[in-house]
Amino acid sequence: MTSGTVALSDPRRRRLRLGRVEPLVWIAPALAVVVFVFGYSMFQLVRTSLRFEGHWTTDNFRITWSDPTFRTALTHNIRLLIAVPVLVLLSLLLSILLFEGLRGWRFHRWALFLPYVLAIPVIGVVFGQLLQFNGLVNQFLRAVGLGGIAQDWLGQPRWALWTMTAVIVWRELGFGIVLFLARLLSVPSDVFEAGRMDGARFFRLHRRITIPQLSGVIVFYVIVEAITMVSWVFNYVYVMTNGQGGPGDATQVTELYIYQTAFQYQSPEIASAAAVMLFGVTLVLIAIFFRVQRSSGVGLDE
Amino acid sequence: MHRNLGLAVVAVLAAAVLLGSTASAARPTARGAQEDPSADVNLTMWWWGEQEAAGAKNWLAQTIKLYEKKHPNISIKTVLQTTDGLIPAFKAAAAAKKGPDIQYFWGGIWSLDDAWLGNTKPVSDYIPRSELRHYLNAKEDTYAGKVWTAPWYVQPSFPVLYRKDVLAKARVKPPTTWAALLKACDALNAKGITPIAGGIKDGWFGGWLYSIIGAQGIGSISDVLDATTGKQKFTDPKHAAWWTRLQEMRDHKCWNDDMNSLELYQGQQRWAQGKAAMTVAAGSDVKKFVQQVGVAKAGVMAMPRWGNGPYAGRLGSTSQTVGITAWTKYPQESADFIRFMHTPERMAAWFNTTGAFPADDRFNTKLIKLPQQKILFNLVKNGAPYLENFIPTELDSKANFAESQLLLGGSIDAKEAASATEKIAQRIRLTQRKQMANFKIWAQSYK
Repeated sequence: MTSGTVALSDPRRRRLRLGRVEPLVWIAPALAVVVFVFGYSMFQLVRTSLRFEGHWTTDNFRITWSDPTFRTALTHNIRLLIAVPVLVLLSLLLSILLFEGLRGWRFHRWALFLPYVLAIPVIGVVFGQLLQFNGLVNQFLRAVGLGGIAQDWLGQPRWALWTMTAVIVWRELGFGIVLFLARLLSVPSDVFEAGRMDGARFFRLHRRITIPQLSGVIVFYVIVEAITMVSWVFNYVYVMTNGQGGPGDATQVTELYIYQTAFQYQSPEIASAAAVMLFGVTLVLIAIFFRVQRSSGVGLDE
Repeated sequence: MHRNLGLAVVAVLAAAVLLGSTASAARPTARGAQEDPSADVNLTMWWWGEQEAAGAKNWLAQTIKLYEKKHPNISIKTVLQTTDGLIPAFKAAAAAKKGPDIQYFWGGIWSLDDAWLGNTKPVSDYIPRSELRHYLNAKEDTYAGKVWTAPWYVQPSFPVLYRKDVLAKARVKPPTTWAALLKACDALNAKGITPIAGGIKDGWFGGWLYSIIGAQGIGSISDVLDATTGKQKFTDPKHAAWWTRLQEMRDHKCWNDDMNSLELYQGQQRWAQGKAAMTVAAGSDVKKFVQQVGVAKAGVMAMPRWGNGPYAGRLGSTSQTVGITAWTKYPQESADFIRFMHTPERMAAWFNTTGAFPADDRFNTKLIKLPQQKILFNLVKNGAPYLENFIPTELDSKANFAESQLLLGGSIDAKEAASATEKIAQRIRLTQRKQMANFKIWAQSYK
């Protein structure tokens, strides 16, 4: 028996039901705010992407797509998506270890979550120093006789993007761990006890119980991190490469391309075309999220 | 219904995610209204320069204090920008038509680009020609008969600083020719001394190197402007040779091994710390460096000569400038403050505080006492145009900055760098048609 049931049975409330449009009415205030805030920007963005010197044209899209730097940037965003499964696996493993009562788990939880609350510019500056060719990381490697693997981690095109990916993983991991751990702590303990009584050991227990219980938040985390890799890595790249996306274009990403094109090179039309394309990719990712959520029946309310 | 609702939510969420990177591309058009100039006037100045002329901040604060005392109805607020933020911050302000009244600009294209975009008012509309003719290097900021920004201080671009004590350890004399430089690199390396300290992570040094090495191969500035517009090519020998010189420097290990890890100023510090024999510094910074290492230990010279062009062996000379923004309500007051910066007392104070030469031929050169500054002044008196100021900033960034990083990091060779530069130039010719048209007109003034 809930208050909702009472409300539905109330004839006065029944008169207020608006049928198929009712959900829209409920979200209308929020939708109005969002449309008000973003609507004009989006309209201007699309309009600018279709204009050049006062004429309507699709040339901006063609020119943007033919730009090797834009393609490189897009490729790098896609390469950064490789970090998503790594993040999921590591977050899962570490949250389970913490959940299992790893010795000193409170400290470990704090230590693992700490990077996530650090400002990205701070992380960028610190790692920028640590990862210099003669920085602390390489000094340590040389000191322990591993000088052969010391690299110019951010200064060599071969390594720069992977190094940046590792830094991003280091920071974003905390979010996944806290998310998974919070969900695990909300699962009734008797579910796990029952599994153990049935003879399930660590691996089987977590494969059969933990992962299904976490499926909703895993999907959520995957989508959030995928969006991060596609359209929220600007800060990392900007701070760690002094806004260059270098060396060369080794760490160029789409957001930085848009920023440079719009504000450094004064080509708002090209920047808008690139932004519309990035918007499309992000839209697809969010649509996938909703599709997966709907088809699998998993969600955050689990 | 659910499907439509879902799509609506998807669209809204995606819009929210992208707001930061997308809203910026549009150009609002609001402009400030004219107000009574006799009323209180609040000016804002965005500037840069403390980074290369230590003490500039104190001088500016003092200058504003004196000016405000003279003009009680005027108050001036300053915002010191970072090196990486100077241009994007102003471009963002220009897009919103809201921001500073007085803006700092490097010379040449860095100044004219914003003039072409309508972001500045010509200073020659507010400062009399009789005054402007004293400002040094104003030609590079002149377009269509108007001077767009006012030179503030001269930037000798860019001298090589050497440490006599460090060179002496390897029994190397300061190299004045290219062959001597490469030989010096070998000799210094043999003694375990880094020949030249530099940092290219932030890219800027690539533009410096292009200018001080590349200038030696060309016949005139119109060569560079013609290469930009496509009348010449950046793969032509006179434009591409500098990449070969840079590769020679790389092959002779002239630079510190962590050059790609260090920013421009971090690289220079290696020299000040005695860890390298030479570095390339901003002319305005020479006093600071000389005082850091000791007057007896430091020497200054132009980049060793390799070419036979008219600019070979000469130091580049440009002036850092200030301009009046298009949206300011107080252009005349802004111009008046700029003129105040050029009063004899303020110029003397500027030089005494920073060690940089004011960009004004009325500056009392008797104030120059430091031997290294005397050498520098003589070099800059016979200075050549500074190349980087005559190419599109996009080309500078995508080619000089980026390809220098790759070449010095060993990822590409000189031929590939030159070819990449030309490809980038070709693309800019396609995407920046208005800018190219302006370049063609600009090139006429250098014929």
